Amino acid sequence: MVNDRRGYTLLEVVVSLAVFGIFLLIIAVVTADMRANEKRYPINYMAHPEVSAVMARMRKDIFDTKYYPAEFQGYQQTPKTLILYTLKQTGFGNTVVWDFRTSGEVHRKEFNATELTADWAAHGLPDFTIGSYTLTTGQDAVRISATDDQKRLAIDEIFVPRPHN
Amino acid sequence: MRKSRGFSLIEVMVAIVILGIVITTTISMFAERQKRLKQANETILAYQALANEAEIWRRIDFASLDGQPPVFQSDLTILAPLAPYTTAVRIDTTRPDTKNITLTVRWSSAQRTAKLGIVRVDTGGSSLW
Repeated sequence: MVNDRRGYTLLEVVVSLAVFGIFLLIIAVVTADMRANEKRYPINYMAHPEVSAVMARMRKDIFDTKYYPAEFQGYQQTPKTLILYTLKQTGFGNTVVWDFRTSGEVHRKEFNATELTADWAAHGLPDFTIGSYTLTTGQDAVRISATDDQKRLAIDEIFVPRPHN
Repeated sequence: MRKSRGFSLIEVMVAIVILGIVITTTISMFAERQKRLKQANETILAYQALANEAEIWRRIDFASLDGQPPVFQSDLTILAPLAPYTTAVRIDTTRPDTKNITLTVRWSSAQRTAKLGIVRVDTGGSSLW
């Protein structure tokens, strides 16, 4: 019996390994760049539709806020709970409670006097914190911030109520 | 008798060229996507800082605008990943009662820029919006 199969030469194997190595090198360089960016930049939560919705609704509420009650129906004004009295398009006001106490969730409850008239929730959210911020001009603002899982500041927005006389 | 003699040089070269084109295209698309994601992240951070700064410049008394130092006054912690970066405030008086304020953040050795412009009008001291 004659053996027709002679296998690969050393040159063929070396060239194949070299080509394969070049591909691996290119992929390693690209992924290293990607990992460096991941470490440097916080998660872009703003690309998340639920986060955008929360920020937009909160911006509108704060924009038309007349005052911030210290407490309302068992809720306290804390870094995880924002209570505000905001004007509606009708010209009358409602009390709104933004509740961030449950991790990953937010609940927006709107009250007409003491009656709950709207209850909206969003899920899959970062860990928000509510703080006060005083502008250099003296006006009081609300500062909404959120950090990602690496504790990097990912959201930091200041909302200032417009003046209502 | 030997029936199978393997691939010719031309066949192998054509196959390698096609494979090379496919792999190169895939990697370049991947790299471009990463670059755009990085730029999007940077832009989001820059515009958060610009929006916060605009809140301050929107509320400074009109008569005091020219006396303000042309620098950002808000907390810029959000811009830390862009370091080193520079900020600038430019005030142009287009009419006696109108000023254009341009807020600028530059980073990546000034190769990338984000700007936000607001217009201030002298309302005579009222808080009318």
